[in-house]
Amino acid sequence: MSQWVIVSGVSRGLGHAIALDLLAAGYDVAGCSTTLSDEVKALQSEFGPRFVWQATDMGDNDAIDAFVAGSIAHFDAPPWGVVNNAGMSVEGILSTLPLADIERVLQVNLTGAIALTRAALRRMMRTRKPGRIINISSITGSRGYTGLSAYAASKAGMDGFGRALSREVGRLGITVNSIAPGYMKTALSAGLDDKQLDQIVRRTPLNRLCELSDITPLVRFLLSDEAAFITGQTLTVDGGLTS
Amino acid sequence: MSFDLVRTELTQILTDKSAPVVEITPDTVLLNGPLDIDSLDLATLVVTLEEATGLQPFREGFVLFHTAGELGALFTKAAG
Repeated sequence: MSQWVIVSGVSRGLGHAIALDLLAAGYDVAGCSTTLSDEVKALQSEFGPRFVWQATDMGDNDAIDAFVAGSIAHFDAPPWGVVNNAGMSVEGILSTLPLADIERVLQVNLTGAIALTRAALRRMMRTRKPGRIINISSITGSRGYTGLSAYAASKAGMDGFGRALSREVGRLGITVNSIAPGYMKTALSAGLDDKQLDQIVRRTPLNRLCELSDITPLVRFLLSDEAAFITGQTLTVDGGLTS
Repeated sequence: MSFDLVRTELTQILTDKSAPVVEITPDTVLLNGPLDIDSLDLATLVVTLEEATGLQPFREGFVLFHTAGELGALFTKAAG
């Protein structure tokens, strides 16, 4: 039986690209998102039972547990890996950001990812077999960006979570890594205007924004057996912007 | 929940990690005692027991326990 992987936030953008890439590579995928997008419907149609999807609010820990339990029941095995991709952003100067928005970003991006990882690990650790946890972080977590303080906090938290967890579960052969993409032209970077994006491109040695296809092969590699000795790391893919 | 389940799952964990299997009684100390297990093994034991019984004695917070019998008693208490 092929291995299966949990991917959160599959309705669009990077999460959808990761799910599609992994399915094409032979993994089965359990995806979740808040909305049943046309992209998700296309995955369901193309891959049938190899792709299972459940509406899940990453702000609802019980829903996250139910999604993992349902996916394990569907594939009748613990997952090989988890890709914590689901995320949201809130832009604005901190002093004017509503606290409710800040709490929501931290819950969805950070607590939700931790809850999803916890739920999956509870089944993975019982088998005493290797596995993979991959957190989709951001260079804003290490470098920051004006107007993205809460988002940056959630991503820095994700990196710290991964470093600590890698020590905790390393003995089981479970690796935990972060991927920190540079700025991408996806819905999440909608808060950046064209002028800001142009400025980012000018400061990037490789002279362009980050593409989905820059990230998906790295996810696939970190899931592979060849990446078994890489853990506790944050791998930056930003065209040299932060070099 | 009977103490037998704690003993069974604990023995399984020792077997899985190729550790010496010793006799486990209710008084057997779990960590830093006669068993070759660490905190990760203990977490695995707790998760396994939670999954097997559907009970979650630590849902509202961690409760200190030292022996196999004390762990079993926490599950018995959670069962009401």
